[in-house]
Amino acid sequence: MELNTFRGSFEHVVKKRKLSSSNCLQVVDKINHELERALLRVQSDQDLTLTVDPKSILKDLKSKLDEFGPEKELESSQKELNTNLSKTQKLLEKALNPDISKANRKIEFDGQTMNKIITDHLLSQGMFDVGDCLIKETGAPEANLLRSQLLEMYQILEALHTRNLQPALNWVTVNHEKLKENGSSLELKLHQVRFMELVQQGSQSDALKYARAHLAPLACSHMDEIQKLMACLVWIGKLEKCPYFKLLAITNWEKLGDELSRQFFLLLGRSCRLPLAVAVEAGSKTLPSLLKLMNLMGVKTQDWQVMEELPFPVDLGKSFQFHSTFICPVTRDQGTLENPPMLLPCGHVLCRHSILKMSKNNSRTFKCPYCPLDSSVAQCRQLHFP
Amino acid sequence: MEIDPLPNGNTATENAAARPASDAVASLAAAAKAAAPALKVSHLSDSLKLEHQFLRVPFEHYKKTIRANHRSVEKEVSAVISAVDSSSSSDFSRDDAVSHLSSLVSRLQGLKRKLEEGSRVENLQAQRCRARLDHLESADADNLSEWSNTRLKRILVDYMLRMSYYESAAKLAETSNIQDLVDIDVFHEARRVIEALQNKEVAPALAWCADNRSRLKKSKSKFEFQLRLQEFVELVRADNNMRAILYARKYLAPWGAIHMKELQRVLATLAFKSGTECATYKVLFEVKQWDNLVDLFKQEFYRLYGMTLEPLLNIYLQAGLSALKTPFCYEDDCPKDDPLSQESFRKLAASLPFSKQQHSKLVCYITKELMDTENPPMVLPNGYVYSTKALEEMARRNNGKITCPRTGVVCNYSDLAKAYIS
Ligand SMILES: [Zn+2]
Ligand SMILES: [Zn+2]
Repeated sequence: MELNTFRGSFEHVVKKRKLSSSNCLQVVDKINHELERALLRVQSDQDLTLTVDPKSILKDLKSKLDEFGPEKELESSQKELNTNLSKTQKLLEKALNPDISKANRKIEFDGQTMNKIITDHLLSQGMFDVGDCLIKETGAPEANLLRSQLLEMYQILEALHTRNLQPALNWVTVNHEKLKENGSSLELKLHQVRFMELVQQGSQSDALKYARAHLAPLACSHMDEIQKLMACLVWIGKLEKCPYFKLLAITNWEKLGDELSRQFFLLLGRSCRLPLAVAVEAGSKTLPSLLKLMNLMGVKTQDWQVMEELPFPVDLGKSFQFHSTFICPVTRDQGTLENPPMLLPCGHVLCRHSILKMSKNNSRTFKCPYCPLDSSVAQCRQLHFP
Repeated sequence: MEIDPLPNGNTATENAAARPASDAVASLAAAAKAAAPALKVSHLSDSLKLEHQFLRVPFEHYKKTIRANHRSVEKEVSAVISAVDSSSSSDFSRDDAVSHLSSLVSRLQGLKRKLEEGSRVENLQAQRCRARLDHLESADADNLSEWSNTRLKRILVDYMLRMSYYESAAKLAETSNIQDLVDIDVFHEARRVIEALQNKEVAPALAWCADNRSRLKKSKSKFEFQLRLQEFVELVRADNNMRAILYARKYLAPWGAIHMKELQRVLATLAFKSGTECATYKVLFEVKQWDNLVDLFKQEFYRLYGMTLEPLLNIYLQAGLSALKTPFCYEDDCPKDDPLSQESFRKLAASLPFSKQQHSKLVCYITKELMDTENPPMVLPNGYVYSTKALEEMARRNNGKITCPRTGVVCNYSDLAKAYIS
């Protein structure tokens, strides 16, 4: 990357700076030296006859300093440094985009809304101190409910971190129904950890008791896993021979914590992918092309202020696609309620307008543009992308 | 991303020797694995180009310190030299000469200490520039999520500093251990000026202008002129008319050549006084003029340090929300993973453009995954489309029965049709 050129130039500046500063020191030392010599001469004259009067010593000093020209000396060393500094700055401007605000629309974000978004983000990250401080500094309304909910989550996670399952188990028990609705296996996973601990300790009856109390109620949704878990009871004492043991022993506590926070956010009606992080990440992927466009558009930037749609598609990647859109491969139109996607008998999909056009308004059969099959409008089915 | 080639090469040959048949498959898989991070890395190097301010501010700070230190050395040396010059032509007694020279020597000692202190500060600032370069270069496919997380924190600190939430900014930087990656110290300089202006004091602002005179002049800044105008208006407000006229003569007249019109307008306040109802002049007496000065100062300050004029957070959010915004975002069933499902983000995005769609992109309602050739869309008899993966899993769990999650319609897995969507 071009940053290397900048780094090289920068290190050069640092070297020149050191040179210039030792040069400064030398200049000062030299003046000092002359001053001290003059001082000595004046003082040493004490008891002698005045062969040299102070005035001529000072005159000598002046001509010595004039000859040496300290101001010129200082200037010349700095001059080169200054040139290097400006050069380095230009290299930086070349390597990186010097003004990313060019891609900005002239709109103002509402301060209150921004503060709320940032506070939510900080609390969601478990940065309670910073969040509280921001609330205090901005006078934003306190987010007491959210704060206490998130505090609970971070306390559970903290306990999990120290291998204390109890708070997590309490939480999944209270939220049993909702977790089941979400199809989460978190409850099973947590009980599985405790169960396997008992198995490892070699206590068959304790393990069995635990399984009856906590695993049995989960049987209907996790039969497979529970069968394997129960099978481990047989191998107690010689677990290394158990075909499932390695599979079932949960060693990745971090993953367990991740799943817990995912479910926790879900039950709060939020997402564990923090919205501010998602939006800023999307911004970092969009800005480069947006800035390229601004450079191309040049003077026409006023158009940018009013555009209804970005002038180019941005591929943010799979994990940023939250909605389905259908674009008809023939007309390039986006599917709408009035012009929905239609499934042809051959499996190809076109928008309704294309089909009507090809069938001359439903007056005859037509050939699919993507395969040799003939269809009639009646054979086509409207599709819904929920 | 330097990888020691030796141990890697060794394991590769060992594997190849053990399973020669799978050699080709393994290398194909490795190639595929390598391709994905490559895409990430190209995204990454593009987004690193957005980090100009991140390097520029500490560099500018470094430059500024170097120049200021040098100026003060030059000034001090000239002062000593001219003291020597003037003494050489005066009739000093011996004692006078001794005390004169001694005072100059101790002055130079002071300068030397200052030089050493200056060098120390310059070294620290150079170190900070390096730390930032290192941080940018440390970003690679393996630590991307951690790196992005730090970037967001940097962006938030930038926002807080610009909004004068200094305590929160310091706390966030400290808890995240990113003090070297944010510009808290640079904003100290701004804070003094801003807080003085909020208290209707112009002295620190004027001192700041004096410190940066040549650069402000180069950018044709009006800030100092505005400060002087405000001081004048305050004199008129206090009915201190004679002083106001003297002030105008001394501090406003020099700007006449460039800002004559505005100058005339403000001087006319002398005739109207602060109670005026005349709109043109009333506005000059309004308290919000001080807020305007704060805003103007901020703009000059950002420009001087090579910062963006808008907070980084706003710039990233504008671009990001535009790329995410679709007409579906404003419907109730916008998924929670989408920032635009939240009212606050919808509000921000209200006057931003929509994203552009060029190809069909289908997201499975059940798994939230993108449908593609590996996980193609399947159509229920009622026309609803879900991913093959989701429907297979549903059929597996329910003896081949499929229940449409949106309409409740039940059908058999065998009733599904394939759809080809390009
Ligand atoms: Zn076809
Ligand atoms: Zn959306």
